[in-house]
Amino acid sequence: MTEQNNADSFGSSGPILEIRDVTHRFGEVVAVDNISIQAQQGEFLTILGESGSGKTTLLRVISGLETPSTLGALRIAGEDVSNTPASDRNCTTVFQHYALFPHMAVGENVAYGLKVRGVPLGEREERSRDALELVRLGDKYDRRVHQLSGGERQRVALARALVTRPAILLLDEPLGALDEKLRLDMQVELLELHSKLGMTFVYITHSQEEALTMSDRVILMRQGQIVQEGPPRDLFDRPASRFVADFMGVENLLNGVVLESNGEITTVRMGEHTVKGRWSGKTTPVPDQPICVCVRAERVKFAEGSGDEPNRISCKPGATIYKGKYLDQTLETDVGMVNARIWDGDFSLDTVSHVWWHENDCVIVPSDKSSESVN
Amino acid sequence: MTDQASQFVSATIHGQMGQERVLFWRHIVSWGGWTQIAKWAGLIVILLTYIPLVWLAVMSFSERPLSGMPYPITIEHYAALMADKAWREPLLESVIMGLIVGAVCMVVATAVGRAIPRMIRPGGVLLLALSPLFVPALTMGAALFIFLREYLDLRLGLWSIFIAHIVWALPFSLLLVLVIATRFDLRLLEAASDLGASTWRRFWDIEFPILRPGIIGAGLFGFLLSFNELLRSIFLRGSETTMPLYNWTMAASHQSQVPIIFALATVILAITLPLMAVFFWLLFARLDRST
Repeated sequence: MTEQNNADSFGSSGPILEIRDVTHRFGEVVAVDNISIQAQQGEFLTILGESGSGKTTLLRVISGLETPSTLGALRIAGEDVSNTPASDRNCTTVFQHYALFPHMAVGENVAYGLKVRGVPLGEREERSRDALELVRLGDKYDRRVHQLSGGERQRVALARALVTRPAILLLDEPLGALDEKLRLDMQVELLELHSKLGMTFVYITHSQEEALTMSDRVILMRQGQIVQEGPPRDLFDRPASRFVADFMGVENLLNGVVLESNGEITTVRMGEHTVKGRWSGKTTPVPDQPICVCVRAERVKFAEGSGDEPNRISCKPGATIYKGKYLDQTLETDVGMVNARIWDGDFSLDTVSHVWWHENDCVIVPSDKSSESVN
Repeated sequence: MTDQASQFVSATIHGQMGQERVLFWRHIVSWGGWTQIAKWAGLIVILLTYIPLVWLAVMSFSERPLSGMPYPITIEHYAALMADKAWREPLLESVIMGLIVGAVCMVVATAVGRAIPRMIRPGGVLLLALSPLFVPALTMGAALFIFLREYLDLRLGLWSIFIAHIVWALPFSLLLVLVIATRFDLRLLEAASDLGASTWRRFWDIEFPILRPGIIGAGLFGFLLSFNELLRSIFLRGSETTMPLYNWTMAASHQSQVPIIFALATVILAITLPLMAVFFWLLFARLDRST
């Protein structure tokens, strides 16, 4: 802690963003519940959560647009900004609704941050053109905002936020209003921008797919609290609770209880079946603890007749849904519905009698009640 | 025949002929003649507005305006108008009064018009602020007169005319600002703050330019309403004479002054109409371009 403070006072080697113990209430509702976050220089940090999880409020606290109810500390680039108004903080926001100024041309919008900083006209225009070039809108400098498409407005908002070279760029669901194809293109573009500029990005999204593709680190929020944080791979492969597994898109969440565990490989009972998997909860598993077995659909395999595959459960084929690249196959078992993914269009289910999966492809987490009591 | 009619009515009421009724109304709505009616009604209203005005202007050049004959043409009324000094002070008084009322309306309407959309429950304030629109002019004039002259025992003059004009013009000005202010996206101000603008900067750079058509409209309307105001001024004039008061007195007294009034009204018209044109251009043409 002392080391940390020293580093901060020099303002060089400490975290670029540090929030300690922030709580924000809207009347009775606790939007952000005693959260602490750090981000390193150049990091792409994603705050992930469903709507109402408090992620946007957290971003607004960082930018200064919201004054938190209680705040331990808030530092940007080592500088204490807890009492600094939004206009004087070394960070800018790309809003989901873009918030472009309708009465200004594209170039004026981009140059606005420089204008209020008193940058002379010539330099202002040059830097704005550069910023527009960066988002590949170099030829739109004199356009009116209402002449632009949604994707182009998005880029203008991005250029406007980047042009002042803030220490941190805050992005509030910036791709939320774009259509699928454009969103995927913009993901790639944002990543390129991030590596080109070396700027710290704090990115808000409700899409686990965006979080996984883009981030160095993901913070998953729920009801104003941090549920899990770590590299995307951690959240994807090692969810710490049923909620995280569900949010990260694990299709099969089956209930059971712990039989025994060596700390990592855990044996659980689901109805008649005994299943092995890797323990991924924050606490050590105890016998009879209710748990959730998490298996991704693409890891579920099929077997015929008798065999010695691990985690074997007998099944009857259910509905098939065509998804283009693959088929979504549901299978009825005595522990509930299991979803599997079939990549081969000619695959026949006629002889399938069992599903199974490797114990390495199976994550076991505390079921939600116990995980919440831990939080 | 009567039987048929009553059958039809009861069938309609009981919905048996619902289909026919829908078709009937659809037929009425889609009738091609509506466009023609709208066109002609509009034309008639426009003619009713402008013919008397043009006639007034034409008659101001007639030797005998009250005769209704444009000929013989003369500019002697304008010469008389120039020679006559009696109307100059009322005109000056009205112009100055209008400018002050316009300026005050502009500032107050902007302040209040910005505040109302930011309120959690603006209904009550809105009602209080706009209800003077529905108070009859004579009632308002009499009420102010009784309160200021009889109750407070003040000497009436320009200041009391000013109060009456503000009470009259402010709700209109406020409406004009509100039309735009309620559509103003407050998130733009957050974006401006986020980009480094101070509270004053973000008002001046973002909010004011977007509200400008409403603000200018508020000022122009304040001026025009004050400049033309007669009924309240009658009560609150004290010993002052504004332009409308002067015109009214002159026109009512059947004096030899009447021909001058024609000329004077024409001059005033020539000033006010272009002002209105500018106002509408600002309010609509500019607004369309900025959004």
